[in-house]
Amino acid sequence: MKTAVYFCNCGSNISEKINPEIVENTVKMNNPGIVFKSYGFLCSEEGKEFLKKDIEDSGVNALVISACSPRDHEKTFMNVLTSAGLNPYMMQMINVREQVAWVTEDKDRAAEKAINYINAAISRVNLQEPLENKEIDVSPNAVVVGAGPAGLKTALSLAEAGRKVTIVEKSPFIGGLPVRYEEIFPNMECGPCMLEPIMGDALHGNSSENIEFLTLSEIDGVVGSYGNFTVKIKRSPRYVDIEKCIGCAECIEPCPVSSGNPFNCGINKRKAVDFSFVGALPNVPYINAEDCIRLNNKFKNGDVLCRSCIDACPVGEDVFKFDEKEEILERNVGSIILATGSDLYDCAKIPSLGYGKISDVYNSMEFERILASNGPTEGKIKTSGGKEPRSFAIVHCVGSLDENHKEYCSGICCEYAFKFNHIIRNKIPSATIYHLYKEMVIPGKENAGLYKHAAEDSNTYFIRINDINGITVKEEGDKKFFYIDGAEKISVDAVILCPASVPGKDTGKLAGILETSLDKNGFFEELHSRTDAGRSKIKGIYVAGSCHSPMDIKEAMSEGIGATGYVLSGLVQGKKLSIDPITAVVDSEKCSGCKVCISVCPYKAISFNEEKEISIINELLCQGCGTCAAACPSAVIKANGFTNEEIFAEIHAILA
Amino acid sequence: MTGKPKISMYWAASCGGCEIALVNINEKIIDLDANFDFMFCPCLLDTKKQEIKELPDESIFITFFNGGIRTEENEEMAHLLRKKSKILIAFGSCAYEGCIPALANLSSREELFKTVYLDNPSIDNPHGILPVPESDVAEGELEIPLFYDTLRTLSQVVDVDYFIPGCPPEPKQIWKVVELVLSGASLPPKKSVIGAGKSSVCEECDRKKSEKMVEKFFRNYEIIPEKEKCLLEQGLICMGIATRDGCGALCPKVNMPCTGCYGPPEGVLDQGAKMVSALGSIIDISDIKGLSEEKIIEKINSTIESIPDPAGLFYKYSLADSLLKRRVAQ
Repeated sequence: MKTAVYFCNCGSNISEKINPEIVENTVKMNNPGIVFKSYGFLCSEEGKEFLKKDIEDSGVNALVISACSPRDHEKTFMNVLTSAGLNPYMMQMINVREQVAWVTEDKDRAAEKAINYINAAISRVNLQEPLENKEIDVSPNAVVVGAGPAGLKTALSLAEAGRKVTIVEKSPFIGGLPVRYEEIFPNMECGPCMLEPIMGDALHGNSSENIEFLTLSEIDGVVGSYGNFTVKIKRSPRYVDIEKCIGCAECIEPCPVSSGNPFNCGINKRKAVDFSFVGALPNVPYINAEDCIRLNNKFKNGDVLCRSCIDACPVGEDVFKFDEKEEILERNVGSIILATGSDLYDCAKIPSLGYGKISDVYNSMEFERILASNGPTEGKIKTSGGKEPRSFAIVHCVGSLDENHKEYCSGICCEYAFKFNHIIRNKIPSATIYHLYKEMVIPGKENAGLYKHAAEDSNTYFIRINDINGITVKEEGDKKFFYIDGAEKISVDAVILCPASVPGKDTGKLAGILETSLDKNGFFEELHSRTDAGRSKIKGIYVAGSCHSPMDIKEAMSEGIGATGYVLSGLVQGKKLSIDPITAVVDSEKCSGCKVCISVCPYKAISFNEEKEISIINELLCQGCGTCAAACPSAVIKANGFTNEEIFAEIHAILA
Repeated sequence: MTGKPKISMYWAASCGGCEIALVNINEKIIDLDANFDFMFCPCLLDTKKQEIKELPDESIFITFFNGGIRTEENEEMAHLLRKKSKILIAFGSCAYEGCIPALANLSSREELFKTVYLDNPSIDNPHGILPVPESDVAEGELEIPLFYDTLRTLSQVVDVDYFIPGCPPEPKQIWKVVELVLSGASLPPKKSVIGAGKSSVCEECDRKKSEKMVEKFFRNYEIIPEKEKCLLEQGLICMGIATRDGCGALCPKVNMPCTGCYGPPEGVLDQGAKMVSALGSIIDISDIKGLSEEKIIEKINSTIESIPDPAGLFYKYSLADSLLKRRVAQ
């Protein structure tokens, strides 16, 4: 083994603090036979050429590069090794710039540290073995979780690029939250109409054959890693055949049972067979198994099974599939995009606001449905007493900017609060509207318009409040009153609460399945909140839309395109993925089959061969984290590039 | 004197169990005698040190050296036998890795003497006399070997050719080594562990193994383990996963967890550390999601606290040969 040390001066960044000559003399003394060369900028074109030529001429077969952080130039120098005909893993790079020169004041101490690091690197590099990158086939396709704005945009753009996409949507319909909004800020477009071109293209456009919609479906499990995920999807039965049903709605009226409609926040009722709401896509009703008499009486002998819906159906009996069962489907994809959206903070957590106890106190979603022409009141605003309300309190910042609830501002509530203002004013021109807010937030070039309308309106009042928790809503007869800090008393007919945007309720469960991390507020955590906000901390799993941060539809759509970009640039069709050889390897001769390693693998890369009674590591799934090598009690698992011998040699040299 | 190759066995700091293990090869001892001149074994024969000193160098074909290096005399004999033997074998856990005597490395010499010669309830030592290498008595000057502060393994003192693990080595395995030598076949590379396997005790253990997740650990007397299931999975700290095979998994076969006497498996540098690392990986932490950091620490600690005497448990046999070697501070 001929080993060489290349010491980069980094201009004067390193050599100003650490004298290369002192280092050279000591390193040569400590390591007889070592080649030592220093250079101005090793990463420059001239530097790389020098390195390449020197490797070729001197015939070294292991290198220590003393320079900057490996994050800067490890790849650069590995490429030089390859071009010089040397295996790129026969190199050990040490960070003498950031970890020594820039942080160690005393020059003698700095030189001593650098020498120690170089000695340690020499000890380890002499034990290193050539490793080969492997190339594997990858799937260019994707699973998108959630069919809201971000998910739909991702799916459609990927499909247009020729990728196959499976959209997994928990609810019976697609479109997410906005399809439930009659009008959307800032331009007062109709929600379902605004999304219609995207939903239409996704369902029956030019690329729709590339998109598979799985509604009433959830992620049940994932194995694998970037490029090769196997996603298990649990699909609950709809009991109505999506292909055969024509969506004529004839079955709904005859259905004898009904219960609260969750898609209208329980404000009205839906039949056991019904649409989620008028216009919900796919245009096929679904049967609520809990309510349906037929599904619940199925096994009672002697009873006549209910057939109201079947008899009413003009298409035929086989539209209904009462024997449909929950299914587990598997899809092999290269990427997973999380676009599961958000929910509203529970207003009942601020009891003084009366939510859930006092009638006509609504959260914003309930009020959106009341305003919607396909909602429970068909767009008519009425109090619980049946009268048209004359006055409204719209409370902003509910649970926001509050360390006892949510510390952040969701950035969308003020905007839709002024949208409410605008709609109320159109429907009830003489209504008095109070806005109670802690902070006013209306960013963006288009968003000031609705605020301006409210501000210029003579019958709209703004009341700034230090602490939203200081508002108390009380009911006296059919009148509501709100008190501010127990003093000021104002009478209104209806109260609309605009709560903080929070992660959807199954976010934690999904994160558990995918082993992605959540931030302190329970949103999916980004790889980097500024530079890589579209990636989760797991390679190949992306985040888009309000599942990782509160945002409006525009941002969610852009993020959908962003996620598409990650997938398209990362997994190019027909191109193979290069697999880093820094993986763990089981010595099949020595493995005793104790099974300690299996559960520790965060990538589920270890399986057990029952016949040979040994553990097997799937090198495609292995990410080289070394957890199993540490756990293996009989040292049968070797971590390539980080063997015990290499690590101990390094430590011994450091401590020598 | 015979023309047969000479074989010797010496005991340093050990219990004598290794000699018994040798005798436990039963009638094979006759074959041993037929093939070797069994010429030195203080436990069984009356050969004197002087006679060994007078032998030409490397004239003993094999020496089975058991016991750790505790005293000056142990060290002297290690050097002497190294010089006089062609093949020096560290025989048994004490010579190989320190074994039970090495647990004394968790104390200093002063503490050991205090316990043994002063505080011991069965000792009568009103003048507080402690062993010293040289003392004047009526008959003249008395010399006893110096008691070292730290017990060392044989290979930490002299060059060792092979290691036979076990406390004590299994007679079957001892005979295999003798047979190998007798067969004239080429011997394994120097410094190898012989008379044992290369994997772990689990390889020889028939218990059913599953993915491991242990919520609570038990001491042996606390539970009666199920017969078929892996003992570790039942919460008994079975060192089998981090112990070299070769014993035939004798202890787990009779419902007793392995205590690790065959030392670390091939390639493991520190048996205790490996065991700790493995246990750290399988302590059940499945329901910690959403718990505060303090609660998680509390949960982990409550499991760890169910392990009494970790040093004595994880380093019962291997302390002297481990990365730790001894206690270094108070």
